[in-house]
Amino acid sequence: MLEIEPWIWLILSCISGEQHCSELDHMFNFADKHLDSKNMTVRRALEVWKLGIVKYLDALKLQEKLLLDRKIGRVPDLVLSLQHPPTYTLGKRKTDHNLLIPESDLKSLGAELHYTERGGDITFHGPRQAILYPIFSLREIGFGARKYVEGLESVMIEVASMHGVKARPGDKGETGVWVGERKIGAIGVRISSGITSHGLAFNIDNDLSWYENIVPCGIEGKGVTSLRREVSGELPSDDVIHDQLIQCLARIFRFSDVQMKHDLPVLPIRGQC
Amino acid sequence: MASKFWASSAANALKISCSGTKISAFPALSRCFSSVLDGLKYTKSHEWVKHEGSVATVGITDHAQGHLGEVVFVELPEKGVAVTQGEGFGAVESVKATSDVNCPISGEVIEVNTKLTETPGLINSSPYEDGWMIKVKPSSPLDLDSLLDASNYTKHCEEEDAAH
Repeated sequence: MLEIEPWIWLILSCISGEQHCSELDHMFNFADKHLDSKNMTVRRALEVWKLGIVKYLDALKLQEKLLLDRKIGRVPDLVLSLQHPPTYTLGKRKTDHNLLIPESDLKSLGAELHYTERGGDITFHGPRQAILYPIFSLREIGFGARKYVEGLESVMIEVASMHGVKARPGDKGETGVWVGERKIGAIGVRISSGITSHGLAFNIDNDLSWYENIVPCGIEGKGVTSLRREVSGELPSDDVIHDQLIQCLARIFRFSDVQMKHDLPVLPIRGQC
Repeated sequence: MASKFWASSAANALKISCSGTKISAFPALSRCFSSVLDGLKYTKSHEWVKHEGSVATVGITDHAQGHLGEVVFVELPEKGVAVTQGEGFGAVESVKATSDVNCPISGEVIEVNTKLTETPGLINSSPYEDGWMIKVKPSSPLDLDSLLDASNYTKHCEEEDAAH
């Protein structure tokens, strides 16, 4: 009976809706580990595909192929690690009212615009922004949609903290990762038959002026930032930061190993699976 | 709020279904308290179907809405569209994740719940009633036979959550 008291205190203190309550999470992780004895001994490797700079549509076609492959078990849980050339993307809600300049102007600026099936609002991707697209089976990793998104937030928060930056998850309705009132990481996910695609975008040292052409993620009155802006000293190379994100992803989603995939496909992918 | 929490846990212990109780702050505990209604059929991907004569109503379960979090957007098909058992007919968005919703039966969409456009949160607050998604004219009554009943679905949820 004595063990229940801390639970009651934590529940009462964390009682407002979707509040991110780290003590409670810690307790549930502890509880999950005890319930999770079946999976704890199973070693699962996270396969990593490092793709360099990839056009948005090419990455999308690859994800669609891998989604189907993952569904039938032809590939394991894997993550694509890449960056995009300047690209604006919209989610399923098609919130193009948050694009502040005519679509025709984007081309002359050297950017593409794509409508996607992911959740979330409008965002920008560009060079020096780290992108991870995990293709995970939610059932195999043992996470529901919300916990998965929270896990992606934690990945970016942990990497920020490795560089001395204190980041936090967003308030209710503002999914993503923030430093104060400035957004450093964005999330947009699609779940199809329990398999994830799309994922996270973490600003390392990308040109932030591109965000002036949109209301980022549809959230008015808040800014964007990057690791470069928040860190006074030297930053390691982008490759190192991508590796840090991958290592955190592997740990948070309980993989025992990380394996780089060799024999990567040549993009763009031609034909269908 | 605390008394609502304890009331719903007591209700669950007594096997009384508590329709659409939102317990979204407690992901690990909420799996113990998702309601499953008798008289409906279920899929392993957490959709439910209520068959009444020539009309079948479809939605997602309490377990599903709990794991998704607050629903902010629902994509539904048009009336008259054909749907196929096991294939996606729409999507639900929550916390920046859109999740495809699969149809438990094949047939033709005869009605969609337009209230979900303005109030997508009905899926969270009332997953089996006001949060219904589409009504279908079933093309094959045998489709229902391959679905889970309440107790098998409950068992399926328990097995899934035990692996988490």
